[in-house]
Amino acid sequence: MNQQPKNQDWAGLAEGDSQAWRRFLESMIPRLYGLFLKSWANPSFAEELVQKTVFDAVRGLSTYDCSRGGIEEWLFGIARNNIRIEIRRRASRPSVDGDISFYLDRIENELLPDEVLEQQETAGIVREALGALEEKERFVLTAKYVDGLSALDIAGRMNVTEKAVHSLLYRARRSLRTELRRIAPLKKEERKK
Amino acid sequence: MKPEENNLEKNISRLVKQAGGKNEPTKAFTDSLIEQATAELEQGRIRTRKQRSTVMSIKKLLAYAAAVLVVCGVLVVLTMPRLYRAKEYSGPVAKGPAPEQPQVQAARQLDEKETKGEMSSSPVEYTQQVRTIVSDESGKFAQKPQAAPADALVVSSADRVKYARTSAVEDAVKLGIAGPADKSLSERSLNSAYAPTRPSGVVQCFPLPGEPARRYPMAHGGTTPPNGEDVDAMFFKNYGVNPFVDTEDDHLSTFATDVDTGSYTVVRGYLHDGHLPPNDAVRVEEFVNYFKYGYPAPQGDDFAVYMEAAPWTFGEGRKNSQLLRIGLKARQISDENRRPAVLTFVIDVSGSMGREDRLGLVKKSLRMLVENLRPDDKIGIAVYGSRGRKLMDHKGLDEKSGILAIIESLSPSGSTYAEEGIRIGYEMAEKAFKQGRINRVILCSDGVANVGQTGADDILKIIKEKAQKGITLSAVGFGMGNYNDVLMEQLGDKGNGYYAYVDTITEAKRLFEDNLTGTLEVVAKDVKVQVDFNPDVVRSYRLIGYENRDVPDDKFRDDKYDGGEIGAGHSTTALYELKLWPKKKGTIATTFVRYKAPQTDDVTEFKSFIATTDLKDSFDDSSKQFRLAATAAEFAEILRESYWAKGATLEPVLKNAQRLAEAFEGDADVIELADLVSKAGQFRQPQLEQSEIEYIE
Repeated sequence: MNQQPKNQDWAGLAEGDSQAWRRFLESMIPRLYGLFLKSWANPSFAEELVQKTVFDAVRGLSTYDCSRGGIEEWLFGIARNNIRIEIRRRASRPSVDGDISFYLDRIENELLPDEVLEQQETAGIVREALGALEEKERFVLTAKYVDGLSALDIAGRMNVTEKAVHSLLYRARRSLRTELRRIAPLKKEERKK
Repeated sequence: MKPEENNLEKNISRLVKQAGGKNEPTKAFTDSLIEQATAELEQGRIRTRKQRSTVMSIKKLLAYAAAVLVVCGVLVVLTMPRLYRAKEYSGPVAKGPAPEQPQVQAARQLDEKETKGEMSSSPVEYTQQVRTIVSDESGKFAQKPQAAPADALVVSSADRVKYARTSAVEDAVKLGIAGPADKSLSERSLNSAYAPTRPSGVVQCFPLPGEPARRYPMAHGGTTPPNGEDVDAMFFKNYGVNPFVDTEDDHLSTFATDVDTGSYTVVRGYLHDGHLPPNDAVRVEEFVNYFKYGYPAPQGDDFAVYMEAAPWTFGEGRKNSQLLRIGLKARQISDENRRPAVLTFVIDVSGSMGREDRLGLVKKSLRMLVENLRPDDKIGIAVYGSRGRKLMDHKGLDEKSGILAIIESLSPSGSTYAEEGIRIGYEMAEKAFKQGRINRVILCSDGVANVGQTGADDILKIIKEKAQKGITLSAVGFGMGNYNDVLMEQLGDKGNGYYAYVDTITEAKRLFEDNLTGTLEVVAKDVKVQVDFNPDVVRSYRLIGYENRDVPDDKFRDDKYDGGEIGAGHSTTALYELKLWPKKKGTIATTFVRYKAPQTDDVTEFKSFIATTDLKDSFDDSSKQFRLAATAAEFAEILRESYWAKGATLEPVLKNAQRLAEAFEGDADVIELADLVSKAGQFRQPQLEQSEIEYIE
């Protein structure tokens, strides 16, 4: 994290050389991710913003003016702009109801609002629900969604077939949904007390 | 995957990732993003190289042109002194004032009413003013400027009005005794700093690598850009605004019909998201054509024409205008009587379609369409993300459940290789082509055409060729943020199909359920309209909208020249603002409609008239449908900040829209119009975009 990009081919970057950009992005993506994560503790959303920022940069490369600063500064400028846009977008949206159990009860009907995801209480409920799962189910969910491993990689680690991993993932998602539905109302009651 | 399963997976993925609390991105994410970004850069560089080679060719051409110019310049320098001396010897020839013709007098009176300037617009009086003022200013130049206006008095009376409006007024402006406001409407429109804009290039606010940096104004109003996306990433094109045309200069107005409604729904999306749209997103004709005007369907013929005209006041300093509405209604075909359809869907499943659940809306829309098709229709599906591929060969609707399952299985990923997807779609359509059926490719996309190594022009060329062979294309747009309105509209236009924008499931219902037969079955192609204004009655006119549908007058009867397509039961409406000569009676305009039968290419032409006796006494005496069309046009004109809407406000538009909502009781479209006008009024009021930007900076 936060390592400064060294030995970059600055001229290549300005000209859009893909190899130069490959090296540059390898060092910049984690830094951008960290920046977004500071604004919203929401890894999925941080990924979305990193993706948007990178594409904004490569598509708008011709607008880069080296006399106004380095390309790294420019990229962070785009990132900060995206943060501002998101702040404004959120300001205009109605605030999310505090009742998390309402949303967690409907996770197959609609995508959860980011604001629900970012509440500490949500993370607590999810951790508790994960803890209530079988070891295998918990492993497969974290390997897939936290570590970003492919089904094939997971299959190698678990010494099972890829198909078995898909099947296990399917069951694990359903178990987690059941646990979320069980735990969220209990937490709500606790909070009331 | 079912939608429920899809939502569940996404939500679980986000929740678990959240709970995992990792503060760095996964390797899989990083690698995939780097791959996509570098691929994008590679494509940008290829485009840049192509552009460079084009620039080099242009440079060579320019060098030749410059050499020719230098030679011409030398010739002019050598011959000029001789010409100048000849002119000086001829001297001013004062012929004395000619008697003022009635039309000149009327023009002067009208110009005086229209303009607030102090000068008189009569050529005679005007010439005198020029003389007086010039001699007051400097005796040295007192005689010379008289030459041009004096010459004006020896031209034929038929040319006099025109001359008075052009040369003399221009000279007066040069001499500083008159302002741009003193010109006639058409002249003013062409020369003013606020003039109706001429077509400009694509407003591609997000330049591709290698393109020069350009700044475009943000869309204003509201508090946030639509869907969190910088509006500078949207693609719209400025097609200009039609000017007033004096009937003496050109009494014919020709355009290709347009039944598209995409612009209205795009703008609705902006307003619902809390923003005023960019001006270029507004195409007036698509606003007007969004509404149903209840034109009775023709019995026996392919078309019926309906014309209505009434007084209309709109914009600053323009009184005594008339609004002419020309409505064209195509014959109805019942669903049972339409030809069976062979449909090929080309679906964009690139990463951008995952935003705001665009692909979800595509799926819902297609599901609706499939449910409404007949058992003898056939469907095939091609998709494109990073690569294009065939997803499903053409199947009959007896395999509906299989088709629906495949539609449900779509998921977004990768970049956008539109060209390959469209090409594969056409290959499938050609293979499944059946004579006597509706052979249609339906493209569902956000129009973000990262089109491999081929430019949009190449795609448009392919589409046009295939349309001539009988495979038409309809472009259905989804999504906001980086939506490419220009490309989608052109695809629908060149594909002899239509362009629609689906922002909600209600809009999908309108397209694929309520108007399905009209959406699929074309009853006339290459439809062109020519309106012949009677110069004895009409002084000048302007066509409201249809800027990108202009057809040269002499191409109206050229049957190779492309026109518009009209589906069964569809209608299209054109509006003209007219200035009439006072107290003149007779035919106002003759409307000619020319079109080809879609199967046989047989050409039909017919005409219809409207006369001064048909004019309504006041705007309120006109039909409610007429007032609805006028209100939609006014709304669009104000939103696009048309030159002709200067000084117009949304308040009277809102009042009219609210009255119409009552008159069309229960018509959700009209109620929605009033709501949108009201929203736009709120956003226009503060115009706080500058302070907003400062705030976030």
